[in-house]
Amino acid sequence: MRVKSALKGLCLLCCLWICFVGTGQSQAETIKLGALNDMTGATSDVGKDYAMGIAEAIHYVNDNGGVNGKEIKLYQFDYGYRVPEALTKYKLFKRMDCLAILGWGTGDTEALSPTVTKDKIPYVSASYSGHLTDPKKTPYNLFAATDYSSNARATLTAWFDVRWPKHPDFGKRKPRFACSYMFVHPYCSAPIKAIKDQAEILGFDIGPDQDVSLFAIDTKSQNLSLKSFKPDVVWHGNTTMSVSATIRDAYSLDLGADHIVNLWGFDENLPRLAGKAAEGVMAATVCAFYGEETPMMKHVVDYAKKYNAGVPQEKRLIRTVQAWSNVMALWEALKRADKAGDLTGEGVLKKGFETMSEFELGLGGAPLTYQATDHRVSGEVPVYEIKNGKFQLVKRVNLKERWADKWDGWKGW
Amino acid sequence: MELLLMTITTGIMVGGIYALVALGWVLIYKCSGVLNLAMGEMTLIGAYVSLSFYSMGIPFVLALLISLVIGFVLGILTERIFLDKLIGEPVLTVIMVTVGLSFFFKGTVEFIWGTDTQVFTPAVFSIEPIRIGSLVIGRVYLWSFIAAIILLFIFMAFFKYTRWGLAMQATADDEMAALSIGISARFVYAAAWAIAFMAAGVGGTLLGNINGLNISVGYLGLLVLPAVVLGGLNSVPGAIVGGIIIGILQNLCGAYLDQYFPGGVKEIAPFAFMAIFLLFKPYGLWGWERIERV
Amino acid sequence: MSTSFLPCGTYHENYGQDHAWWQTRFVRGKMILLFLILFGLIPWLADSYWLSVCNQIGYTVLGALGVQLLIGFCGQVTLGHAAFLAVGAYTSTLLILELPWPAFLLDWGLAYPISILAAAVIAGLWSVLFGLPSAKVKGFYLILTTMAAQFITVDFIITQYISQIGGRGQAFSLPPGTIKVGPWVIDDDLKVYMMMLVLVIISVMGVVNLLRSRVGRAWVAIRDNDISAEVMGIHVIKYKLYAFFVAGFIGGLAGAFWISNLAAISPEHFPWFWSLWLVGVILIGGVGSIHGAIFGSVFMVVVMELLQFAVMPLADTYPKLLMDFLFIKEAVFGLAICAFMIFEPNGLSYRWWQMKNYFNLWPFSY
Repeated sequence: MRVKSALKGLCLLCCLWICFVGTGQSQAETIKLGALNDMTGATSDVGKDYAMGIAEAIHYVNDNGGVNGKEIKLYQFDYGYRVPEALTKYKLFKRMDCLAILGWGTGDTEALSPTVTKDKIPYVSASYSGHLTDPKKTPYNLFAATDYSSNARATLTAWFDVRWPKHPDFGKRKPRFACSYMFVHPYCSAPIKAIKDQAEILGFDIGPDQDVSLFAIDTKSQNLSLKSFKPDVVWHGNTTMSVSATIRDAYSLDLGADHIVNLWGFDENLPRLAGKAAEGVMAATVCAFYGEETPMMKHVVDYAKKYNAGVPQEKRLIRTVQAWSNVMALWEALKRADKAGDLTGEGVLKKGFETMSEFELGLGGAPLTYQATDHRVSGEVPVYEIKNGKFQLVKRVNLKERWADKWDGWKGW
Repeated sequence: MELLLMTITTGIMVGGIYALVALGWVLIYKCSGVLNLAMGEMTLIGAYVSLSFYSMGIPFVLALLISLVIGFVLGILTERIFLDKLIGEPVLTVIMVTVGLSFFFKGTVEFIWGTDTQVFTPAVFSIEPIRIGSLVIGRVYLWSFIAAIILLFIFMAFFKYTRWGLAMQATADDEMAALSIGISARFVYAAAWAIAFMAAGVGGTLLGNINGLNISVGYLGLLVLPAVVLGGLNSVPGAIVGGIIIGILQNLCGAYLDQYFPGGVKEIAPFAFMAIFLLFKPYGLWGWERIERV
Repeated sequence: MSTSFLPCGTYHENYGQDHAWWQTRFVRGKMILLFLILFGLIPWLADSYWLSVCNQIGYTVLGALGVQLLIGFCGQVTLGHAAFLAVGAYTSTLLILELPWPAFLLDWGLAYPISILAAAVIAGLWSVLFGLPSAKVKGFYLILTTMAAQFITVDFIITQYISQIGGRGQAFSLPPGTIKVGPWVIDDDLKVYMMMLVLVIISVMGVVNLLRSRVGRAWVAIRDNDISAEVMGIHVIKYKLYAFFVAGFIGGLAGAFWISNLAAISPEHFPWFWSLWLVGVILIGGVGSIHGAIFGSVFMVVVMELLQFAVMPLADTYPKLLMDFLFIKEAVFGLAICAFMIFEPNGLSYRWWQMKNYFNLWPFSY
């Protein structure tokens, strides 16, 4: 029965905490922000890094004057990548009058999208899906990054511009292109329509899609059926682990294709996992890699060292920087809304985000522009490749200039 | 033809890994009648332990051996602390305890090793595959297959020729009878968990060498279930054969059915096959048939 | 259902009294009080957050009820119940979104109630389909086939095919205002709460009534020993499939109800974890008791919420601790389940029963 009394004690303790929380909110000049992160769930391998980045960035904001003197209070929750949990936590945020929410993955973002629109709460997430960029449908879903679709288009274009001319068959035939991703996962399949459209524009032969699970340990059968198509370039839509498995199997089966990867499959772990096979893999990024030279990076590294000293530096990934980008953009929007005297959800969107034009974060990403009719932050996407295990900028592709007539029609794909 | 051959070879090799994890399942079920849903997490622990030692600069084989020793100790501890008190409790209670254990293990692993992907550096197995004619076999897969076969023979011999093994067989067959001839059931259960933990460690380490390690590796603990059922829950050779059959089946489905049913066939085929198979052979290939009396 | 004693001096004079729901005045008063609390006090006192916690409890109760029926009363262990919740939720959503309803049904707000019923029936049939192996296999092998039900239904059929209907990709969004019952648009927690109460009460009453009928007695006989049940002339397979149908039916009800609380549904709402969770709920609540399903749900949901609360203030002071605390929390939760199973294998409802009996004879207990 000792267990029972221990349980009882635990309950009591919890009740005390609640009272403490309930009464501890009397400070006047604070702005409450909610954060939903995945630190224990299916995407925690990258989610934890992102979550730490969020917390550190908020510390930075508060150390630098907060929102015009108002301190930001962050309520950060782990929802274990479970959508139902996210919905519960969202209601909690709403009850606490959080001004905006820093979300995480595709699951929570998609599920909450109609609700945040109804409740007018800006939802700044790390799901950069292209169809969240149309303000007509999802005005309150925002992110400080180029969307998956633009990234995919840009990467394919970069490959077409840089690699294809060096190919021995250049000018003799059309290049061949295939996709390999988990069909049903909304993150993986989000840019499919866009990248296939882009492949048609650039004149590729498009091969059969290959379905690779996010947990795949062996992708030989997929690579074998790719081999009969002999692609020149394969786009991978999964996350790092399964991308590395696919690339490695492609290497051992002599597929002979180049690989381009979506954002969440391209980080410091890829060369570690795939070794030689990862050489030459290309992907678009939305910001600089951790520790790279940019104006703000010093702070990112400093705060990471200060607040998460226990985490070794080489373990920090680009995800930290992505978190910083989102927080910095939100900070700027809050400041502008506050200055305009309209610190509400709608104000943050209309007088904050949508007044930003060519706003430079200093984290290596493209300057941010939010328009009332278009939430794609930029038409310019930097494309990186892996060379000798290091990341190297290949080219900045400006989609907006190059396809000026089509750019507007690509919104919300 | 080449595709078929290649697919089957790959299937056999991947099946080797399934077989390793399946072995752990079967051992625990065979000896103590526990359906262990914490198997995936045990795999994880074994893998992380050997990874930690390997990154300290200890040679791979030695690191693996150390992880086996630690697995042995952990297995005995787990049995002593949690399962020992549950002898004679309803089946479902015991299953739920293993579910609780899986949470506990998972939390502990995350606490100690974190959730980010960790990689065996420098790589243990070369990325260059072995080529036999037109066949291409990854080194990790080949080694897992070899390990599975070696373990199979070790365990078969263990159950047939050693006192311990015979004691475990006897307990599995009839606990009461075994007790009455002086076999310590507690000892048998502890040994089963220890061995299962070790087998899971080998499987996990090899898996970690394929894709790196993070908690999603534990997910594989579930994927091997069809293999276990196919072979029969209490047959050691059944686990190996079941693992290999599932591996082949999966790859054949991936190669030939994927175009007709786009998506996911490779992952779900084992489960569908299992459900149908059970309708015809309710005890798997070599599982013991229980004759029930009122 | 007479697990508790009647007070002294109360005698039944006819079968009607013997089978009555509320046999004494005290019980009647107690139940009326309970209803008052449920329908009056809680909606009046609780704010939107606690109402949503209540809704989650209700959802868990509905899910666990089916599991309790299968495991606790019919002895068919299932580890794939989330599949049937998913079938219910998806049937209802698809019916609402895709079916061209006649305008008058929409105006009267009947579309959603009808879709709930349809969802429940389809989930029930789906459950029977996966109950079929129970004719041949039992024990561990049955557990594994129910797990197969989970993976085939949710991870394959729903994820791969159903979710692609209408080109939405993964999540089906339910635009605010689609869910309408009669004149009420179900859009806030209070309305969901009321609907939840009605559904939970109906299903609990349904199950309890079933259990004291011929069917329920047959189930219990099968649970206790299926061979002797067969010897007694019970058509074992038929009654097993009945059990699967009813469990699936309630599961479908739960799933279809739950979409009213969600802005969107995705396969992620019904992971295998949730099936395990439901089994955990009834084990902690107590196997073989309707109270068990309810107590277990309340306990599991509230404890998880409280744990979350305990973390929040810590975040300000120890951000490093917060990270690790989550893992400690997970580990502790696992340990708690183990401890519960080891030290309290009969579950909470057994404690409740003990308490009730103690007070029955209080202050003159032997």
